[in-house]
Amino acid sequence: MTLRLSSAPHVHSPVTTQRLMLYVLISLLPTAAFGVYAFGIPALTVLLISMASAVLAEAIWQKIAKQPIRVNDLSALVTGLILGLNLPANAPWWMAMIGSAFAIIIVKQLFGGLGDNFLNPAMAARAVLLASWPVHMTTYVAPTFFSGADAVATATPLVLKNSALMDLFLGNVPGTIGEVSKIAILLGFLFLLVTGTVTWRIPVVMVGSVFLFSWLFGADPVMAILSGGVLFGAVFMATDYVTSPITPWGQVIYAFGIGLIISLIRQFGAYPEGVTYGILLMNIVSPLIDRFLPRKIYGHHKEAKKA
Amino acid sequence: MQKKSFRRGIHPLHHAHEGKMPTRNLETREYVSDIVTISMAMNIGAPATPCVKKGDQVKLGQVIGTANGFMSVPVHASVSGEVTAVEAIPYLGGEPVMAVTIKNDFTDTWCDLEPLGSVEHVDPAKVIPAIQQAGITGMGGASFPTHVKLTFKEGAVCDTILVNGAECETHLTADYRLMLENSVRIVDGLRAVMRALKVEKGIIAIEDNKPEAIAAMQKAAAGRDGVTVQALKTKYPQGGEKQLIEAVTGRQVPTRGLPIDVGLVVLNVGTCAAIADAIIDGKPLVSRITTVTGCVREPSNLRLRIGTVTQDAIGACGGFSDTVGKVFFGGAMTGLCLPNTAVPMAKSTNGIVVFNEKESKSMDESPCIHCGRCVAACPIGLNPYQIKVAADASNFEAADKLHVQDCMLCGSCAYVCPSRRWLTSSFKFAKDKLAAQARAKGGASK
Repeated sequence: MTLRLSSAPHVHSPVTTQRLMLYVLISLLPTAAFGVYAFGIPALTVLLISMASAVLAEAIWQKIAKQPIRVNDLSALVTGLILGLNLPANAPWWMAMIGSAFAIIIVKQLFGGLGDNFLNPAMAARAVLLASWPVHMTTYVAPTFFSGADAVATATPLVLKNSALMDLFLGNVPGTIGEVSKIAILLGFLFLLVTGTVTWRIPVVMVGSVFLFSWLFGADPVMAILSGGVLFGAVFMATDYVTSPITPWGQVIYAFGIGLIISLIRQFGAYPEGVTYGILLMNIVSPLIDRFLPRKIYGHHKEAKKA
Repeated sequence: MQKKSFRRGIHPLHHAHEGKMPTRNLETREYVSDIVTISMAMNIGAPATPCVKKGDQVKLGQVIGTANGFMSVPVHASVSGEVTAVEAIPYLGGEPVMAVTIKNDFTDTWCDLEPLGSVEHVDPAKVIPAIQQAGITGMGGASFPTHVKLTFKEGAVCDTILVNGAECETHLTADYRLMLENSVRIVDGLRAVMRALKVEKGIIAIEDNKPEAIAAMQKAAAGRDGVTVQALKTKYPQGGEKQLIEAVTGRQVPTRGLPIDVGLVVLNVGTCAAIADAIIDGKPLVSRITTVTGCVREPSNLRLRIGTVTQDAIGACGGFSDTVGKVFFGGAMTGLCLPNTAVPMAKSTNGIVVFNEKESKSMDESPCIHCGRCVAACPIGLNPYQIKVAADASNFEAADKLHVQDCMLCGSCAYVCPSRRWLTSSFKFAKDKLAAQARAKGGASK
């Protein structure tokens, strides 16, 4: 009889990377469903195209690079879905494709693949699309579901600043597919919390920080957190494991910084929206935060009480 | 009662509950095998030297290996009968060790014993020598000679003895059964040590998933001077010495220090019971409770004679119930794999766990997604993912700077890792490398 030899531990938690990604996908379902409900078939098309292109891009890249094909870890699917939710419902099909391919190949794979990319792939792709096709990216349609009317091209509420708070909360506002309904986002957040996929720290601190700074800068803080992509970014994008700090206090600093940058851009910058750059800029510093934040290690501190 | 615990760790450890279920409600059975093979190197420190030869008749409890200096304990015959071999045997991973094999005559004829009487009246000066004479080592798994633990350097003061009844590992219920079946002896052993060290306080710490054990120990402790029971919130690795200390007293043992540096001594419940046997009956450590479970037909807690061969213990539990993948001593979080089932159990063997093929399948590492679960789990407060990067690059100095030496290999980080990264094993490798480097340096400077 031959026995296997291996070092401990001999058991593992049932939570795998694939399962965590599945939890993220499930948490995005309310948001995606609401987006399709509100914006109709065009929204569904955008989401499906961006998801399919992301998975395909990853598989093709890994095939070409002679790497094990790991699309079944679902991380590319998550990236595709998040990117799709970051696009307006009337975005052209090729933009979703280019965005997904850029996110997966340039941002993720060229920097080492899952775990080694230093920017959030969907966020970086959104930034590139925004810089390349600003008109397509900022021409939002009003939800057809609420008005019953045909899609109307309108500006973002951050420009209009006249949407009622309740409309903002429910999602009766123009915007990207995923960011409009705060209820759907909060539902997803609740799921992520209950399954232990993310902790409260990044979303809560980031939203709190936007609230605080927009108030300090003289804007309406409630409006500030409900408008644009703050909530969507806080729950689904800033919480990306790979590009956020690992240590609890590091996460607090990171989320606080994102809120500050968003508020600065919104109040003093040329862009109406700062979520994308707030998250991307803090992505870049998150490894540094982890490295330089002092840790309390058992038995290394003087305050270890003597008898 | 206020329940205490330490920082971080894993809660809940799913496998602990499941693993313990088959054996926790079964009374301990006695099992005595035909043959025992008793290793001379069961303790940390110097091994004992065999003092019997092939063909000798030995009595139960007779010294068959003499201690070599202070960091060593004698070894005793765990059955009466005839010595059939005194030879080196392969042992877990490391160098071969000397072992004495005895054919049991099943008469259990004890050698002459010298009981010291009640623990409340024994001369305190006789307690620690008696502990060494009885061959007692830490029975929670570490096998550190107990008399060494109880002998402090000049100026050290101990204010409390902690008794470790946490048993936070998966599968193991040996300490639990001992607390239910032999609770008075545990308190007796604690009292003997308290009197020997002139310590006023003794705290028996038990996790709250064992309410019956808490009740039994409270009953046994009632009316005993200075002895109390502390319930702990169930969490892994609460039974780690450092975590138990933090949980119960809030103190932290300084890095590379000992519990006595913060005025404490920690003893396992099994060690306490063995101490009581040594004082009250004069009996050396010749048997212990071992949980035999996993893929065996009748998972049980067995009172085994020290040196029982793994195969025999498994046979006493009806044999394997499935295709065997691996067998390990201890629980699933820190257990040590056996190369074969001819390996005899030792004084510290608290469990023999059999995994089937499916459970033994090794898992491929997938990329680290920086989820931070390892950081949230590490009871020491390390950054396991950073240490792993350093260790994988064979950069052991960097791993050292990240305090890999403080890692106690509890396995928490590897358990929670969703990418199944081999964290604990690479830390063990790094620690071994650093130890070897330190030895090489020490040798060079001499």
